[in-house]
Amino acid sequence: MKKLGTVIAVLVLAAVAAIGLAACGGGDDETSGGSGGKKGGILNGTYASFPDYIDPALSYTAEGWSAMADTYIPLLTYKHANGEEGSEVIPGLAKDLPEISNGGKTYTLFLRPGLKYSDGTPVKASDFRFAVERMIKLNSGGSPFYMTIVGAEKFAETKQGPIPGIKTDDKTGEIVINLENPRGTFTNELGLMFVAPVPQDTPIEDQSASPIPATGPYMITKSQPGQGWEYERNPQWAKANGKAMPHLPDGNVDGAKITIIRNEQSQVDDVETGKFEWMQNPPPASRYAQVKEDFEGSQFREEPTISTYFFWMNTTEPPFDDVKVRQAVNHAVDPRALERIYAGQLEGGQQILPPGMPGHEEFELYPHDMAKAKEMLKEADPSDLDITVWTDAESPNNEAGEYYEGVLDEMGFNTTLKVLNADNYFTVIGNQSTPNLDTGFANWFQDYPHPNDFFQPLLAGESILPTNNGNFANFDDPAVNKKMAELAEEQLGPEEEEAYAELDKEVMEQAPWAPYGHRTLSTFVSDEINLDSVIFNPTFGHYLSSFEFK
Amino acid sequence: MSKEEASAERGPWSLALRRFLRNRLAVAFLGLFVLIVLFVLAAPLWAEHVAETGPNKSHTVDQVTVDGEKLDVVSVEGKPLGPQWFAADGKFFLGADGRLGRDEMVRLMYGGRTSLLVALSAAALTTLLAIVLGLLSGYFRGWVDTVIARSLDVLWSLPVFLIGIGIGIALAIGGLKIGPLELAGGSLWIPIGIISIFSTPYVARPIRGAVLALREKEFVEAAVAQGAGPMRVMFGEILPNLASTIIVFFTLTIANAMIFEAGLSFLGAGVQPPNSSWGLMISTGVELLRVQPLLAIAPGVMIMLTVLSLNIVGDGLRDALDPRGKARLDAALEFETQVGVSGSPQGGAVVP
Repeated sequence: MKKLGTVIAVLVLAAVAAIGLAACGGGDDETSGGSGGKKGGILNGTYASFPDYIDPALSYTAEGWSAMADTYIPLLTYKHANGEEGSEVIPGLAKDLPEISNGGKTYTLFLRPGLKYSDGTPVKASDFRFAVERMIKLNSGGSPFYMTIVGAEKFAETKQGPIPGIKTDDKTGEIVINLENPRGTFTNELGLMFVAPVPQDTPIEDQSASPIPATGPYMITKSQPGQGWEYERNPQWAKANGKAMPHLPDGNVDGAKITIIRNEQSQVDDVETGKFEWMQNPPPASRYAQVKEDFEGSQFREEPTISTYFFWMNTTEPPFDDVKVRQAVNHAVDPRALERIYAGQLEGGQQILPPGMPGHEEFELYPHDMAKAKEMLKEADPSDLDITVWTDAESPNNEAGEYYEGVLDEMGFNTTLKVLNADNYFTVIGNQSTPNLDTGFANWFQDYPHPNDFFQPLLAGESILPTNNGNFANFDDPAVNKKMAELAEEQLGPEEEEAYAELDKEVMEQAPWAPYGHRTLSTFVSDEINLDSVIFNPTFGHYLSSFEFK
Repeated sequence: MSKEEASAERGPWSLALRRFLRNRLAVAFLGLFVLIVLFVLAAPLWAEHVAETGPNKSHTVDQVTVDGEKLDVVSVEGKPLGPQWFAADGKFFLGADGRLGRDEMVRLMYGGRTSLLVALSAAALTTLLAIVLGLLSGYFRGWVDTVIARSLDVLWSLPVFLIGIGIGIALAIGGLKIGPLELAGGSLWIPIGIISIFSTPYVARPIRGAVLALREKEFVEAAVAQGAGPMRVMFGEILPNLASTIIVFFTLTIANAMIFEAGLSFLGAGVQPPNSSWGLMISTGVELLRVQPLLAIAPGVMIMLTVLSLNIVGDGLRDALDPRGKARLDAALEFETQVGVSGSPQGGAVVP
């Protein structure tokens, strides 16, 4: 009897252990991914600045998307992979990729059954429509992507719903989206954070300080804007969502605590000493070479990005309403100097489409020539030479701004430099009521691998918004708008790529920007983290779910 | 003629000057301060004739010739050129200031001008405010004194640096516009104003104390008896008797204002780029401490020498202008030595 009792006890213990492991979701082994790492642990990470928003409808920065990539899953999402593979659109909350009909104007998707938000509320098909409407009501910078939905433009004007172009059926989970015109990029755009379903009782205001219930493997439990935020595993992931989306990883760590450390030198020291296990931003330019030399391969990895760094010029106000002035500025800015300012983390370039983006064809319209720039400015003879130059305080963007201010000063402008905290830089310059928005620094990382992403949100007239404006140059050229709209309707092929290359040149001839290069970012972790497991996705950046303790 | 008769003939200011000149340490540091002022005043000469560049001129992709060899001002990896002393004919004497490749020596000289200008202006404004508030408060007493003294107490109790940083950053973005007063975000008057407002209690309170004592003196009563109004009594009778106190506080306030400015600029709330100040230069130099430590050390040493010289000169002036105060201090120190305890002969604080 004693022996039988022992056997029963062992069996009971084994069963309990098995249930416990299953509850962790995904059914993976204790070690994961075959990388020799282990599950569990709390990741201590650091960002140099708080994201623009911790709200999926509003955030439009790499920091914000990286922070929410594993919490708010859109209907479609991007493959959890590095590099080009990570640009592949895969189903998220939707069962499959959309069925496209009606000449590319109707998208039909079905919500996976049984999904729940982290607070236990069931996810409904109508939550998608609510998410779109909430985003538009909030004047999100992402709203121009969805203006082609039937009735969306009217909704944006009146803020009165519902949007007739979105039909949902909560019983069957069917979501039908009707577009005014075909749109070749719409599948990609359904994979963006802006339209990730959220509960319908979510307030129509920024929720950065009150995290919205999540659908991904993690939920944000606490957020203190300016200071940091924390993650825990989403209890509904193990119970429901993880089973419904087995192709998405459960995540290795049990949670994470993100702290804002504005001093990037301290960030590097803290990762080196193990106080923090990861820094989201790259090491500062002054330490970059040293970190690369000491830790490349073991704790450090360069991450090429598809991005463009540029100085925008407000084309609606003097002196930058004159194309000759803008062209002169392009001649004055020297990408070689900016390559050094970014300490090797930037490849110089003077065009909108970055290398790696379909349609990129290298050209140089404005070779560096300060004498010519001065002459052109003299010829243009603008009525107003007093300008304000904007940049953020994060190195080396602040130095790029200082360099640019010096260049403009040398050309003959009377300049005032404004250096803003990186937390709210894009919110301030994206608000049209901010005075003296003449010119300044900005950057753009691809949302999805389609050249339209570098034109429509940044240079289309329809993207000029009163707040959360992404068209910092307020560039609104009817011919360019028309061409952009026509190209956006087409699926991307060799002809379209050629057309985008021409559009790049055409826009740069009008010089609303002075582009100066394309950025390399990095992954830098402490020696406790398995570097090989960390995924840097071209759209969402670092996935929290990919971090793994050794 | 006896020594006392000679002293009486010379007058108090002449005597004070003699006493100050006898203080060799104070005179030596006054000389050092004068040298620092001359150093920063020579900035345009150095920039134009030696360095051949301006303080904000970037040389990121330029090269300098040293012993026939061409060196990058900033390397491809972003490392700035180190100190060249006179190897490049004085160009980049202290090296480049970072990845923007500006001449560190030129920026140090121009930065000193900014730091001294801010410190002197802030000290002047502080002293002016303190004189007005101290005189009004001490002379009128009653509710005027209550309002002013309690306001100063409130200001004194605030976490000065934190509030200074908050105001500095807020104003650096939007500037300031109050009626006809309009300041741009990068205006030097913003750090000057912040420093002045928060430094005023430290000067106004001692002045108020001195006014409270002086208003009871016979010469004040005599002036009032002759029909002098409050303004004349305050500014014609009492103020001249505060001269020595004001001079000493002014000197020490310059030193404090310089530290305050350096702190604000270091934290991004003071002088705004691309202008340079010593505090701002330390801030940018710290980033490159491992690569070019001189970039942070040079402005740090300049701040230290300036503040040290001003403090020692201030002490020397106090001793020269108020010899009884010095005598009291010496007595207190002697007492401490004799009884081996810390404290003054009266058992209270030693007030010069």
